[in-house]
Amino acid sequence: MSKTNAAPAPASRQQATRAVFLAKGALAGGVLATGVLWLGGRTGRAAQAPSRAQDERIFNFALGLEYLQAGFYAHAVEQGALSGELLEFAKTVGEQEREHVAYLRDRLGTAAREEPELDFGDLGADADRFARAAFVLEESGVAAYIGQGANLTVEAVRAAAPIVAVEARHAAWISDLVGRVPAPRAADAAGTAAQVQAALEAAGFTYPG
Amino acid sequence: MGEPAKTPEVIIPTLERVDRDGALLEALDAAVGRTRAEFLRRAAMGSAALLGALAAPATAAGAPPGKKRDTAILNYGLAFEYLQAGFYTEAEQLGTIREMSQEQALWARTLGAHERAHVRILKKVLGRSAVGKPSFNYRGVTEDPDHFTQTAVAMEDLTVALLLGQAPRISDRGIRAALFSLLTVEARHAAWARHIIGVRPIGPALDRPKTLQGVDRVVRSTHFIVSRPRTSRSASPRFTG
Repeated sequence: MSKTNAAPAPASRQQATRAVFLAKGALAGGVLATGVLWLGGRTGRAAQAPSRAQDERIFNFALGLEYLQAGFYAHAVEQGALSGELLEFAKTVGEQEREHVAYLRDRLGTAAREEPELDFGDLGADADRFARAAFVLEESGVAAYIGQGANLTVEAVRAAAPIVAVEARHAAWISDLVGRVPAPRAADAAGTAAQVQAALEAAGFTYPG
Repeated sequence: MGEPAKTPEVIIPTLERVDRDGALLEALDAAVGRTRAEFLRRAAMGSAALLGALAAPATAAGAPPGKKRDTAILNYGLAFEYLQAGFYTEAEQLGTIREMSQEQALWARTLGAHERAHVRILKKVLGRSAVGKPSFNYRGVTEDPDHFTQTAVAMEDLTVALLLGQAPRISDRGIRAALFSLLTVEARHAAWARHIIGVRPIGPALDRPKTLQGVDRVVRSTHFIVSRPRTSRSASPRFTG
């Protein structure tokens, strides 16, 4: 796995509050964080040479995340604990994640992993828990795609880019809903597969491995 | 300034109208070829046509893959980051941001800081190959909070489309990957801006490139272009944003 900079989405130990934005953090953190990814060398340290086979592995990893997202949002809507904009988020974004699942399955063809059995425990039982979990989920998705960017072939980059942009929009929306700055950094951080899985587990998810 | 009478609808400028010194045209030309550049400059900034055209996979126009094309594309990106940074900076300087609510002002200032950071990042990567800071005319849009915000939505979407279309054309995969981390931020900006103006923060499930067919051209009759100083390569421009 390529070594990448910085941690991905914060784990659930960070309490999301309903307070309006943290003014200092938004500006200070943004500017300072920019240098890291870009000054770390052009091709990155130990970024793995792209190949079709590797694209497949990476897309299946991404597909796992999309299954998790699609499944969680559908589950949460069923639980009936959501209302207002949070419900709208779960419904609309859930639908989009299902489209992402279809898109990645289509690209992977017979190599696509099967839909896993998922158990969300009580993560969707109430609005606050849902929102915090969804935040980690979306931020993990963004970090994961960025983390794998250098390992993809050009064709895979072209295929992945439309999803990546939309995941970032999702992340911005849910950030707003949990009272966080929708765009906290000038350049988003990358996450390795291991980091992403750890963040998900800390939030109470099990990445379908 | 020769502006038409105000209508209830916000008139979002075309790139051509803000491109005071032709810097955007030059950058676009080098990256995507003159014909496409001309088209792109005339389409309304927020229009589906422009977004589709920007995001669409490149044709044979422009240089073959390699460092020269990478440079052209990154300079194209830099020109757009200058466009955005200047937009937010001007609104700050004119006091327009001060007129906004606390929440909206935070949004505007954060995005301005990010865009200025993006300028610095791209300049650093490009080194001596970086284009100089262009001169833009924002057509009064930076003077009014509502016009400003609506135009910002268009501009952020534009930058997302641009990065989507161009990132795959970069031959250096480290840079290609790093552009992902700017792409996601611009997409966050766009979603945040929409939330600010009270519309749903997301669009379609996939920011998919469209074809150039069936486009809708909005041609503005007047634009203001000043001939560009030739010193851009030798001097390191001081960015005062």
